[in-house]
Amino acid sequence: MLAVRDLVTAYGKIEALKGVSLEVAPGSITCLLGPNGAGKTTLMLTIAGVLRPRSGRIELDGKDIAGQQPDVIVSRGVALVPENRLVFPSMTVLENLQAGAYQRKDDFAPDIERVLERFPRLRERATQLGGTLSGGEQQMLAVGRALMSRPRLLLMDEPSLGLAPLVVEEIFRTIAELHRDGTTIFLVEQNAHMALKVAQRFYLMEQGRVTFSGDPGSLAEDEVIRRAYLGTARV
Amino acid sequence: MIDFLQNTLDGLAAGSSYALLALGFTLIFGVLRRANLSYGPAIMFGAYAATWASLNFQMGLILLFAVTVAATVLAGAYVERLCFAPHRRGTAITAMVASFALWMQFEELATLVLPRHLYAFPALYAGEPLTVGPLTLRVEAMVMMLVAIVACAALWFMLFRTRFGAAVRAVIDNPVAAGLAGISVPAISVRIFALASAIGGVTGFLIVSAQEQVTPMLGMWSTLKGMLAMMLGGLGSLPGAVVGGLALGLLEAHSQWYLGPQLRDFLAYFVLFVLLALRAPWMNTRSAS
Repeated sequence: MLAVRDLVTAYGKIEALKGVSLEVAPGSITCLLGPNGAGKTTLMLTIAGVLRPRSGRIELDGKDIAGQQPDVIVSRGVALVPENRLVFPSMTVLENLQAGAYQRKDDFAPDIERVLERFPRLRERATQLGGTLSGGEQQMLAVGRALMSRPRLLLMDEPSLGLAPLVVEEIFRTIAELHRDGTTIFLVEQNAHMALKVAQRFYLMEQGRVTFSGDPGSLAEDEVIRRAYLGTARV
Repeated sequence: MIDFLQNTLDGLAAGSSYALLALGFTLIFGVLRRANLSYGPAIMFGAYAATWASLNFQMGLILLFAVTVAATVLAGAYVERLCFAPHRRGTAITAMVASFALWMQFEELATLVLPRHLYAFPALYAGEPLTVGPLTLRVEAMVMMLVAIVACAALWFMLFRTRFGAAVRAVIDNPVAAGLAGISVPAISVRIFALASAIGGVTGFLIVSAQEQVTPMLGMWSTLKGMLAMMLGGLGSLPGAVVGGLALGLLEAHSQWYLGPQLRDFLAYFVLFVLLALRAPWMNTRSAS
């Protein structure tokens, strides 16, 4: 579904992605692991159109979408749940969800209902401002907002970051449900243990490059975790 | 007491025009996160276009109004295309400096076409002011207040009751998140720029038809008053822009009466300085990230 080829993204002279290639199969959960500063978030932002790549291709169903504006990427059926959630702080929970459906011309009220069913806490807070929610609630809202565009491919950047274990479980339960309903998911995670439980395929990234790819059984979990947090360079 | 009431009334009238200017600045600043120094000069351009039209053709006030607004929006579009569209991913300072260059362009163009320093502008209302007891109510001033109230109500409705307005608020809250939600930030920016320019054109017409004269200084005057009011109200808040504009008008009217015209402008800047130095809670005094 998604194929990234030799992608280079730079901040000024510093290349954060030094030729990244990877694939996300349709209907799969694919996970990207790696230490801080490996370029995982940069990759997500480049796929979503927030950052412009210097070179390389991002193919969605065979068509290059590299360098398109974020709203164009959304219209192609890709949605990103960004790192640190980025909910709209001065808009209500309902307005946040409606904003996620901005491009839709059809009636999206049933989709809002579905999100509120999935996350009952959001229903309780429906008229509260996004900025007043707890971290976990904001993460649910960010996921719900991304779902409002009915994405075929959902990108998630560290959805469990800084959340209580119970909330993390709730988020991962949602990921599994979305996958079962047919959404393809590309997940960046620090929580390697949880990620490897749901993923069919994973990639390891270090210093702007993909250093390993395989299915969750292909490498012992403690080895994955060691590399994901520390990188191979320190061994 | 009568003097105090009269000054308050005059201050609110002037403050209404400042509030409208500050609203235009704030819309652009909120959505684009860039200060458009050419906002005032674009208004001046609009007023000059109308002045030129009234000198060369027989035109009624409604037609002059249309010319002012249309020319201001045109000038605004020129500023947007040259200063803001190309630097959307660049730094804020680039766009600001570019808008300063266009300010100079507008002033040079105005003095090239109409070289005298001062031109008469047809009066909005030529009759006597109304009197209510001891108070004098200038009709132009009341129109200005009325337009400010209507503009605020219309903006509120647009922002909080329409899908477009929700998208605008989303961009103001967080442009990156707005893009990720599927909102085209460039498209919203262009429309907001046009809307702010239209508000500027309306305000400019009311100002020059109340003063019955036009000078090239109108550009600088509008930018200074608008930015001052915007900063007093807390940089980037629309209700703050209205409050800041009214506060500036009241401050000027009263300080002119009690301290004289020399100290009037000084006091406004002094108050801004004190508020910034004390980090007034409604002001964005945290450093930009």
